Amino acid sequence: MRRPLGIILPILILIFWEIAAQLINNQFILPRLETVIPVLLDPTVNILGTGSLLQNAALSLERVGAGFLVALAIAVPLGVGMGWSQRLDAFVDTTVQLFRPIPPLAWGPLAIAWFSVGINSMVFIIFLGAFFPILLNTIDGVRGIKRTWVEVAQTLGASEGQVLVKVVLPGAAPTIWTGLRVGFGIAWMCVIAAEWLPGTTTGLGYLTLYAYNYGQMHYTIAAMITIGIIGIAFDLLFRSVEDRWFAWRGLER
Amino acid sequence: MKGLHLLLIGCLAALLVAAACTTTQQATADVGILYTKGTGPMPTLLATKQIDGYIAWQPFVEVAPVAGIGKVITYSGDLPPDDRWKNHPCCVLTARTDFMAGNPAFVDALGAATILGTQYLNAHESEAADITADWLAGRGNFTYGNITVSSVDILERSFPTVKFVNDPDEQWMAGQLEFVYALRELGTINGKLKNTTDDQTRALLFDTGPYNRAAAMVSAKDIAAPAVMTTPVSVGYLLSDHHASLFVAVKKWQYFNDTYGIALKPEDPAAARPDVVDLLVKGQKVATLKLIPADAGPQLMQLAATNAIQMAYVGNPPAISAIDQGTPLKILMALNDEGSGVVVVTSSPATDWPSFVQWARERSAAGKPITMAAPGKGSIQDVMLRYALEESGLSVKEVQA
Repeated sequence: MRRPLGIILPILILIFWEIAAQLINNQFILPRLETVIPVLLDPTVNILGTGSLLQNAALSLERVGAGFLVALAIAVPLGVGMGWSQRLDAFVDTTVQLFRPIPPLAWGPLAIAWFSVGINSMVFIIFLGAFFPILLNTIDGVRGIKRTWVEVAQTLGASEGQVLVKVVLPGAAPTIWTGLRVGFGIAWMCVIAAEWLPGTTTGLGYLTLYAYNYGQMHYTIAAMITIGIIGIAFDLLFRSVEDRWFAWRGLER
Repeated sequence: MKGLHLLLIGCLAALLVAAACTTTQQATADVGILYTKGTGPMPTLLATKQIDGYIAWQPFVEVAPVAGIGKVITYSGDLPPDDRWKNHPCCVLTARTDFMAGNPAFVDALGAATILGTQYLNAHESEAADITADWLAGRGNFTYGNITVSSVDILERSFPTVKFVNDPDEQWMAGQLEFVYALRELGTINGKLKNTTDDQTRALLFDTGPYNRAAAMVSAKDIAAPAVMTTPVSVGYLLSDHHASLFVAVKKWQYFNDTYGIALKPEDPAAARPDVVDLLVKGQKVATLKLIPADAGPQLMQLAATNAIQMAYVGNPPAISAIDQGTPLKILMALNDEGSGVVVVTSSPATDWPSFVQWARERSAAGKPITMAAPGKGSIQDVMLRYALEESGLSVKEVQA
């Protein structure tokens, strides 16, 4: 019953959109549905020389993937360390809190100076977006491990390394996974900002801005919708893994 | 701890109330100028009546009449005072001095490719418009409500309003100095060029050596090959038809290769907007160029300041400002003269500059001064619009959002 009910509002929004677009009759404010839908239905057509919708989506995903993997490679080990060792946590936490509130896009000018134009500066910005949610969730996950699990393992003679690998990592995995899901979502949003940096000529984010230059809002909206659909798809993917592998969370006693 | 929280919340609330009470600053001047950081937002702002007009570079001048949202009242060469802006300098080719010192032959070669591009496009205007439409928009169509226009048509409208030239001659340099004076008046020059004499200014701004050598190589049809470079050179440019000589040089690479022995060959021949090109001299690849587009000149000059790009096709005021601020950069040659225009909303009674001035006066007298958008403070378009308005007896004020 939930699904059919949930579909009603989007349909109403579409109807309202079309009526409003016809009434306003100004495509700079709201282009009509029939100009946007063909763009989405024909995703292999080149758009204003930036490549097709599919090509742009693939490039954006590639950038997000790279930034996300770098974030994962650094944030998970660091988070496990900080969750496990109070001294490491005390040493690093203040710095993390200082940097965390800075929006990734604010790093744009420095990213370009440090990593030069192109993929590296974009990956840096995406990395920043994904890094903090993954780190904080990993720390939480490790801290949330039941003391009894660790004590049992130690009583049975497990070394610290064994405890980390056999108890802490699997125990924290569901929370870490949540961090990855949130991190990927934020990284996906950041790619759009990253593609607004000078030097980029491709990607869904670039497309939203480039089409705007010529008042081609139907392309902007088509790119926005594609961004949304890909975002939902990846979130569902992360959730399905969560349901399959980590359903035990909350069941353990 | 709780007290601190309350205090913080109190402060925030006070700030919000204060912000809400501060009414939008009302311009007391005759005309307000709004800076939009490039041309991107202009058509939308005009279509949604948030501005009454704008001054922009091509092809964004032509977008308004084609989209039915505005009309062109004058092109930049005809702005008052009489003949002051006739053939005004616009975009220039620039290079970092450290890069030039290390790679003089490369700089000369790129200069030669640019000169050849300019010569070709002046001789083949409609083909050049087609190439530029491909570069800027993949020859795609623009849709405005029920109207669909080919990007090729827009570029064909815009090309005759741009004068493509490269020679950094005496008149052109004098025109550049005009911009230095204007930027001083605006207060955007406050570094190296603040108090220089004209001769000192010239020495700081220009190095016409590469142009002279490039022009000589072109007329001799004999391009000297630079030593093979192992690291790619990054070259910035703007997505404007002002830089069409570069687009033509790349897209017609085969022709230039066969005829002059120099070419900028795209690594992906299928790309509408190539981002990596090889410099070929006498059939041999001597360097890889990364072409870095940007939305506005100041962005490119930031990149040049950090050596993220070594050369740039860019508007002259951003280049002048960068040199003023200490970026080790020289202006090598012209790319185009003129090529901007003033657009007003369709409903405006203005049809030319005098009637525009009349309209601005009436609106100002009625307490609703018009707002014009310009790409950025101190941009060519900003400088010319301000001069023209003040020359016509209208005062100007920056609009604060």
